[in-house]
Formats: sequence, structure tokens, C-alpha cells
Amino acid sequence: MLNTRSKVVAFILALGRRLTGLLCVLFGVSLITFTMTYFAPGDKASAIANARYPDVQGFPPEILDGIREEFSLNEPFFVQFFQWLYRFVQGDFGNSFASNTPVWDIFVANAAETFSLTATALVLGLVLAFALSSIAVWRPGSLFDRASVALASVGAAMPNYWLGLLLILLFAAQLNWLPAYGTGSPSHLVLPALTLAFWITASQTRLLRAFFLEAKAAPYIETLRLRGVSETEIFWRHIFRHAAVPALTMIGLDIASLLEGAVIVELTFARGGIGSLLAGSVLSRDYPMVLFLVLFSAVVYVFINSMIEFLQEIMDPRNSVWSHQQAVPSGEARS
Amino acid sequence: MTVQADVGFLEAPDAQRSKQELDLKRFLVQLGLSLLIFLVAVAACFLLSPYAPNEPNFLERLSPPSASHWLGTDQLGRDVAARLLYGGVWSIGLAFLVTIVGAIAGTAIGLAAGHFGRAADVTLMRVTDSFFAFPELIAAVTIAGVLGPSTTNMVLALILVGWMKFARLVRSLSVDLAHRDFVVQARLNGLPSYRILWRHILPNIAPSLLVLWTNAWSRTILSISGLSFLGFGVQSPNAEWGAMLLDGKAYMQTAPHLMIFPGLAILIAVLSINLTGDRLRDLLGSNGAAAG
Amino acid sequence: MLRVEKLQLRLHGKPILEEVSFDLPRGKTLCIVGESGSGKSSLLRAVNGLMPATFDSLTFRPKNGRPISLKEYWKGRAGLPGSRWVMQDPLSALNPKLALGVSIGESVFAQKLKSLELKAAISAALADVELPAEMAKRRPAQVSMGQAQRACLARALIARPDLVFFDEPLSALDAIVQKQIAATMRRIQTRFDMTFVIVTHDLGFAAAYADQMLVLRGGKVEANQSAEMFFQAPESDYCRELIAAARELGGLPETVVQVSGSKAAIPC
Repeated sequence: MLNTRSKVVAFILALGRRLTGLLCVLFGVSLITFTMTYFAPGDKASAIANARYPDVQGFPPEILDGIREEFSLNEPFFVQFFQWLYRFVQGDFGNSFASNTPVWDIFVANAAETFSLTATALVLGLVLAFALSSIAVWRPGSLFDRASVALASVGAAMPNYWLGLLLILLFAAQLNWLPAYGTGSPSHLVLPALTLAFWITASQTRLLRAFFLEAKAAPYIETLRLRGVSETEIFWRHIFRHAAVPALTMIGLDIASLLEGAVIVELTFARGGIGSLLAGSVLSRDYPMVLFLVLFSAVVYVFINSMIEFLQEIMDPRNSVWSHQQAVPSGEARS
Repeated sequence: MTVQADVGFLEAPDAQRSKQELDLKRFLVQLGLSLLIFLVAVAACFLLSPYAPNEPNFLERLSPPSASHWLGTDQLGRDVAARLLYGGVWSIGLAFLVTIVGAIAGTAIGLAAGHFGRAADVTLMRVTDSFFAFPELIAAVTIAGVLGPSTTNMVLALILVGWMKFARLVRSLSVDLAHRDFVVQARLNGLPSYRILWRHILPNIAPSLLVLWTNAWSRTILSISGLSFLGFGVQSPNAEWGAMLLDGKAYMQTAPHLMIFPGLAILIAVLSINLTGDRLRDLLGSNGAAAG
Repeated sequence: MLRVEKLQLRLHGKPILEEVSFDLPRGKTLCIVGESGSGKSSLLRAVNGLMPATFDSLTFRPKNGRPISLKEYWKGRAGLPGSRWVMQDPLSALNPKLALGVSIGESVFAQKLKSLELKAAISAALADVELPAEMAKRRPAQVSMGQAQRACLARALIARPDLVFFDEPLSALDAIVQKQIAATMRRIQTRFDMTFVIVTHDLGFAAAYADQMLVLRGGKVEANQSAEMFFQAPESDYCRELIAAARELGGLPETVVQVSGSKAAIPC
């Protein structure tokens, strides 16, 4: 048996190992992102010049050379990479080519839109998924159960851009209840949030149902029932609590998919937000913006994943932190 | 001599297992037959259809479904049914291509990580993790967009973002397998690495790989249509389903059929592949959970 | 022909095996006995280079060839050349996706036989372990445990090894099959003049089979003596207890027949 102190040491070591891995991945992520923009077609100097002097057509080579000098575009790849990384780590993300304002400011201005969309959709989707799956497992195999499984299957196969269009067709074009495109009032949020929430409901109903069924099948549930514990109490105090932990980790893992969903939904409904910002910057080759957004999504995703893996690692007695073996390679769970 | 005096020579050693194998065989036969019928039907439609997918007819613009145009015509008078048929080749076929390339690359990397020592493992898996850190669609939009929206660039982007899950699955399964008795035996018997990988590791991870691949295939169909719908993929006038949706979006009120049929086609294609994959996973009894 | 001196094995700082030595002459059988966790299987793995053990020396003299140095042996990292291994659970020792014949044939992969020669060799090996030739086409799931273990035997002997390691070769099988396979093992050992190292926890089997005994307990050697001496005058109290317990359970006859003279004397 290990004493408390060596447990703490082992815990810190495990944390250290994870952080090292995380740093490696973050470095790899920035290298990949930078490489991609470095080798992207098109002359960066004229892109910068276009952004800086929007009214001028055609630049003399001296100006372009000056810009190349200023942005170190003539330096070797790795010099440019480390210069960029150095500034990036210090929080200097550069200015957008398109508007010549700091990338960070533009990002903050757009983040609220995306956040309100994803948060609304997440809450709505989870509440629906929870309601559906808990009613469904009440009597497995019943009509309701089968319907919820079918809904989950269709939902997983449903292209959410198409669902968005259908909702627009029905509620905006035909019934004229809600605005179709744009941002602004809360009513603009309804259709996009519904679209995204439907997808969350579909994917989570399937998982929650499986977790509930598993928790319900545990032998001790039958014992409780024999002891006369009421069904309601069994469900809330035992089944629900048992299923909640795996469900929460799965939801965490789906954050990446949520971000992806937001991109599509924002573009479908012509909303502002990070997704539209990304698409716009990509098309106008606004590299500082693109670099920042891609790195941001990757970093968010990596952090959430690492946190979940770490939590699982310390919560799961089977691969306890202080065992010598490396934990099972994780990540297959990303759906 | 006590030839075959062993107990249980005649009875099936594992009745459960052979029943499962039978079910699997029957399912594969059914699947093959329905695929064949489907392909023949599609080929017949191609041959018998009087309309070319990109042939405009300005006299019959935006006409609703009718006897001559079963699914109506679009804003240039092109037959929607014919375009859907051709579009399927783009959506389903390109996704097939992308996932096959991704699966092969990922499998090779996963096997290399699992079998060529600790240094190779750490390096390759760090690279895989780094690629894996990008949300798939965001990375695909960026790559396809930065390179310039076109079919080729989209395919390239999807291959770049799609191989990692194969690498991870193959690596973790093959590391598990490497400690199994029969692989240890093969090593003790002096078999060369390539033979161990080819005959012992690969066949035993193939079922999980197949399940993951069907899953990746259907997701890639959604990605291809999605990217095309956003303008980063197959470009008009080519009849990809997502690109057709993009075209049809503008005529939502006057000609909703332009928007309904391509979406329905995507839904049906993805749903059928998903259901096939689910059934395969049940029948193979593999740790398909890893492919979730 | 196989001599190990002071083998040490540590895993994660914990000693698994300490100063294990033995010396096994050609054609003889060494039985390694001990309770589970005593390090029996680890010893086999360590000797075969599957675990990072240290030795004072390890000498192996195959029949045709020069002795193999420790350095050469570590380079290969895959078993002693000219030796084969039969494992405990035949179903996990055989690739479920391969026909038995293919698994058996892989044992002589390095010889690069032509397909006809290989087929003949596989049939011969199957016949040697008393399996019909059509077994070559079956897959592990389609045969009984006993047949699968025979196939593993065939896989070992097709390579005509000098030395065969057995890791609890009979414990996955029921009593009748155990007896039959023990008899087959004995027959092929005499016929091909092979040396056996058998890990077992069955003293009765060891009594009937062993020329030499190596008893392990907690990674340390409790006894290393000839079987004859072992059953008459064990080296330690632990061994005495072990023998007494086996007698009480009836797994061991009161007087052990001296078997090394006529090996056919094994009851079967």
C-alpha cells in the first residue's frame, strides 16, 4: 500500500506527464497551423498591402518589399514560425488584414453570438435528450422507446444545414412566425438554436439511453426493488446518478462537434459569430484571423479533452494515477 | 493409437459463435444482393434517363415534379432527378475515396506506432494527437478555403483531417494484440514483422476497422455535402447534393422541391450506411464502441 | 544443453525472480513447480527474452550448431533459436483467424519450404500428434480444446526443436484429455530426442514426468534437484509440505516410480 505522500507525488507526476503531453500537442498544433498558412498560395505581401491601403490599385515593388521586410516574410520558415509563436504566446495575435484592427477585438465581438447560440442549443438539446431517454428506458422496447431510437438514428444522419433550411421554409417562409436570417433579437435565435439542439438531442439521447439501460441492469437495482424502495427513488438516487458521470464526459467530448455545428448553423442562417468569421476570413485570406481562430478551436478542444481524460483517470480506480502503466490510449471515444 | 478420442470432437465447440458467424454470412449476402440491385437500378436510371444532368432547358425552369420531370427542374431547367443521380456519385463516391485513403494511411501509421518501438510510438502519436486537436470541419473549411475552394482541395482537406481516428484505433488495438499469446508465439517462432502485422494483427483488427470505416464514410458524406453547401467544396454546375442545396436555397419559396430532394437524398444515404454499420457492429461483436 | 546461472528479474523495482540457476542436460525434462505468483511463468519468459532479466550466464547448446552467447541472444529478442513454446491456453495461443495448418506451418516459416513440402510437413506433424490431416483446414473455433492443444504441439514439433518450453500445457484441459496429451508429449519427446522445460503446478504430473525439479516460491528457488531425490528427500521444508499436501489430495502416489529409465512407464 502506498502512503498518502507518495500518492500525492504520483498525482503530481501524472499531472506533469499530462501537461508535457499537452504542451507537445499544442506545439504540434501551432506548427501545423502555421505551416498551412505559410504554404498557402498567394502573395502575402500584396494581401497585407491591399488591407492597409484599400483604395490603391496595384503596388510598386518597393512598397511590397517594405512590407516583406516589416513582416519578416523573407526570413526562413522556422525563423518566421518562432517569431510568430513568440508573439502569439505573449498575447499579441496581430492585426486582421481585412480591417487592420486587432484580431482579438474582432474575436471578442463575435464570440458572444456563438456563445449564446451554443449555450442555448446545449441546454435545450440536453433537456430534451434527458427527457426522451429517461421516458424511453422506463419501458425498454415500448413504442416510445423505439421512436426515440429511431429519432436518434435519423438525427445522426440529418445534415443540420438541411434541417435549418427546412425550419426556415416552414416557420419563416410559409408561416412567417420567425425571422429567417440574421442576428439581433431573441427571435432570431430560435431557429438556429433549434437546429443545433436537434442534433444534440439526437446524439445524446442515444448515449443517455445506453447509459440508463446499463445502470438499470445493475444487480443491486433489483435488490433495492425487493427491499421496497420506490421506483422514483431508485431512478433518481441510483440510476440517474450512475448514468450521469459517463454522460457528462461524453457531452464534454462533443464540444468539438458543437463548435463544428455552430459554424454550419451560423452560415446557414447568415448569423454573425465565430463560424461566419472563420468562413469569411478564410475566403478573404485574412491569415492572422484564420490562424487565431483555428488555433483557438484546437486549444479549446485539447484543453477540454485533457481535462476530461484527467478526471476520468483519477476517478476510475481501474487505471488509478499511481499505477505504473500508462493509461489506455484515449480518444477513440470522440464520435 | 488414440486418434480423435478427445472429448467433444463431434459437437460444435462453440455453438454461439458459429451461429453468430452464420448470421454474419447471411447479412453479408443480403447486403451484397441489395447493393447489386441498387447499383443495377442506378445504372438503369442512368441509361434510361432522357435528361443529362447539366443540360439546361430554359422553357421549363423551376417546374414542380411532374410526369416528365419526376422531381421537377431547377432554375436552369435541368432535371433534378438526373442531377440527384449524378450528385450521388460525387457525394457517396468522393466520401468513399476519402475514407479509404484515410483508413489506409491511418492504419499504416497506427501499425507503425504500435510496432516499431517506443520512439516511433511517441513521435507518431504526438503527431496524430496534434492533427486530432483540430475540430474536423473547421480544419477542413480552413484548408479547403485557404487552398482555394475546389473539389480537389476539399478532398485533400478531408483526407488530411480524417486519418487520425484510424491511426488511434489501430494503434490501441494492435498494442493490445501484441501481448496476446498467439502474437507472442509468432514472435518466438521468428516470424518477420511484416508477416506478423499482415497475418496476425491486421485480420484481428479488421472488424473494428470496418465498423469505424462505415462510420467515417457516412460522416464524410455529411462533410462533403456540408462543405459544398458552404461553398468550399464541389462547385456549381457540378451536381453534388450539397451544392444543389446551395443552388436551391435561393428559390425556397417558389420551388421548395429544389431544396427538399437533395437533402432527403443525403439523409437516406447517410442513414443507410449508418444502419448497415450498426448491424455490422452487432454481428461482428467487435469492440465497436471504440468506433462510436 | 541449457544452463542458466543467477537469473535476476526486477519489474518496477520489485524483485520477481532472484538468483535462479539450473542446468538441464539434453533429452531430459525439467519441471518448474510452484504456486501461482511464484514466478514460474516469468522464468520461462525471462529465459526467452520476453522480459528484461539479467544473468550471470546463459548457455544454450543446440544440437547442430555452436553455443549461443547472451549477446547474440539479446539481439534477436525472440526466443532461443531452435526452441519452441507451447502455451497454457491453446485458444489464445492460436490466431482465431488462421486455419490450424497455417499456424503450424508458420513455425517453419524461416525454412522457406515450397508449398508442397510445407503441406507434407504439416500433415506429418499433425499425424505425429495424432490429429487427422483435414484438421489443417479447421480454425481454432471449430475444434475442441484438446485438439487445439495438439495443434500447438504440432506447431512446436514441426520445427524439430531441441528444446520445448511448456507453460502449464495441460491445465486448460479436462482429466481424460490431459492424460492423452501427456502421453503424446512423452512419445514425441523420445522419438525426436527433445529436451523439455515444463511449468506446472501439478506435482503428480511432475512426479511422473520430470527428470529434474525446480521449485520456486516467491521468486526464490526452494529446490533444484533430480526428481528422484526430490520426491525421496526434498531439499526444504516447503517442498516436504508440498509433497505431503499432494499425497493427501491423492494427486501423488505413495512411492514414486523411477521413470527416467523407461519412459513408457507413465500411466496413460
